[in-house]
Amino acid sequence: MQGLRQQVGPASNVPWEALAWLLRMAVACVLIYASADKIIRPHDFAIIVKDYRLLPDALVNLTAIWLPWFELVLGVCLFTGFWRQGALFLATSLLALFWVALIVNYFRGINVGCGCFTSTPGEAAPMLWYIGRDALLLALPLAAWEAGRRAEHPEV
Amino acid sequence: MRLIPKIIGQSLGILALSAALAVGVNALRPDGLPYVQAAQQSAVALDKTGGEIAIKDAALLFISGRAVFLDARSQFEFEQGHIQGAISLPPREFAAQFQDIKARLMGKEAVITYCDGERCPLSHALAQHLRGAGVKNVYVLKNGWSLWLAEKLPVSKGAAMSSQPKGQEGICRDCDNK
Repeated sequence: MQGLRQQVGPASNVPWEALAWLLRMAVACVLIYASADKIIRPHDFAIIVKDYRLLPDALVNLTAIWLPWFELVLGVCLFTGFWRQGALFLATSLLALFWVALIVNYFRGINVGCGCFTSTPGEAAPMLWYIGRDALLLALPLAAWEAGRRAEHPEV
Repeated sequence: MRLIPKIIGQSLGILALSAALAVGVNALRPDGLPYVQAAQQSAVALDKTGGEIAIKDAALLFISGRAVFLDARSQFEFEQGHIQGAISLPPREFAAQFQDIKARLMGKEAVITYCDGERCPLSHALAQHLRGAGVKNVYVLKNGWSLWLAEKLPVSKGAAMSSQPKGQEGICRDCDNK
């Protein structure tokens, strides 16, 4: 590891704080954008939640009501920096949960509409596309964690 | 290490705030979702006040075992052929036989009476008797036997489901399409 750091160069040369901020803004934008359509059309989003077939019927509507607001609050917290660490932790967990849900349904052979950014039932893209895209989205908060950690502890 | 308690506290705050916003806005908006999703609607459209039932609805209820069929025609006609699993109960025998078959009507989504012919009054008369005896969800399958045969739905022969003695005195003289 020490050799790798020497190849990359001194940690102080990298603007970790700015990078962490940029990544947090990216996650915030993704979450706020993702929440908008679901808040506007809760009935359509409930259908998508049900189609995942991962939740008991009793929890489908509660999830459809709460999840978009959860995304919005997370996005706003990341954007403003209020409750920043908690929001980043929950955003990472949420995106990881979405990713696992897509993978589980891929192996179950259930091709669902992602419901990631829109609740309008359109033509479903291949599940592998959704899984790949969510992996990239999950990388954003993970990278923000790491950049934030390096900004606070540049010697590590 | 104060980071973990801090993250837990902030996370709980975010969860509570988002839940409060979600519940509050959902309660205020006119197109809010019910908190618990309604059960899947049945494809069978039954009028809660009774009346007639369409053949396709009767067939669906038959296939899923949610209905009991009462044959209002005579015992003779019943033995010649009837809806599979139906019980013979001509209206004139209602008083004598109802107590025997009452238990078999319990727990069913629909009690369907039928006879044969567009203007056959027996199924309606039987439905009236049943409603008078306190049976709810009674439906008449108009021209039931002919429609059932036309759709090639399951039928049986013989007196297996009847408690009435064999005889010809109950022949449906009022029915059309004979």
